[in-house]
Amino acid sequence: MNDEKLENLAKRLGSGAAARLDVDATARKVVERLREHPVRRLVWVQQTWLRIAAALVIVLGGAVAVRQSLIQPGSAHTAHFVADDLNDLSADQLRDVLARFDELISGDSVAVPEGSTDLHELDAQQLRAVLRALEG
Amino acid sequence: MANPLPRTDAAPDAALIAAWRDGDEQAAAELVGRHARPLARFLAGAGAPDADVDDLVQETFIRAFRSVDRFRGQCQFRTWLLTIGSNVLKDFGRRASRRKVLPLDEAVRDVTGDPHEHAEARETEALLAAGLQRLPRLQREVFLLRAQQGLEYEEIAAALATTPGAARVHYHHAVRRLKEIVK
Repeated sequence: MNDEKLENLAKRLGSGAAARLDVDATARKVVERLREHPVRRLVWVQQTWLRIAAALVIVLGGAVAVRQSLIQPGSAHTAHFVADDLNDLSADQLRDVLARFDELISGDSVAVPEGSTDLHELDAQQLRAVLRALEG
Repeated sequence: MANPLPRTDAAPDAALIAAWRDGDEQAAAELVGRHARPLARFLAGAGAPDADVDDLVQETFIRAFRSVDRFRGQCQFRTWLLTIGSNVLKDFGRRASRRKVLPLDEAVRDVTGDPHEHAEARETEALLAAGLQRLPRLQREVFLLRAQQGLEYEEIAAALATTPGAARVHYHHAVRRLKEIVK
């Protein structure tokens, strides 16, 4: 048997089954079955978008959390003065605090109110003003 | 459901596939009408029992329409459909492994012409069908796609995820073995 005869034979193979197929009926059945069990493409798309959205929330949330942890705690409260926390201290106690500052910083940088030469001459309110000035 | 696509004989498969993706059932019916018979021939040639060809054709189209998003136009729609049909037939064979899968039902045939020639032709076809069942699946598919469906090697290669050269080799191996069987 040569190639041509074999190919001709192959072309006829299954032709009886194909001829007997009721194509219109097959098409109707296929459409009915597709209708009974519709393709869940829309659900798949919705699920995919939900997953993407969830992933974005996690990534963005994580980024915000990391950013917050990297920010120095004091930098968000620039208007807060330590002196405000010293309201309960007496004038003597405040003088002690300033005396410690004196030891740490030079006398030139301390904003002593005009006309004063000694911290002992200042009252509590003036001492707080000095502390605020030292805090910058 | 989307508005049905105005249909003409010239409407390409791609337009019908796009319409089906938009929910046009008529487009699906049109695709079945175009490709059901070649698919039936392919399935019967590959060993599907005559009595099950209709069911297998339906199942193939159902699978194809449900996974149509995976069809990227890498080959013709019909070629893609035939490869799905091959998988459907393979699954059918597994399910029916306990019963014998007859390659062809020769009971209903065109009986015009010389009865002796018909008998001889039927015998040769039966030999060929039996021979095909003895081939490795890839060789059988390549042979049917080439000899029965008349596809080019490039098209076969695209459908079966192989190269045209490899498809050509599979075809020649299949022909050589079938010639030995159908002497």
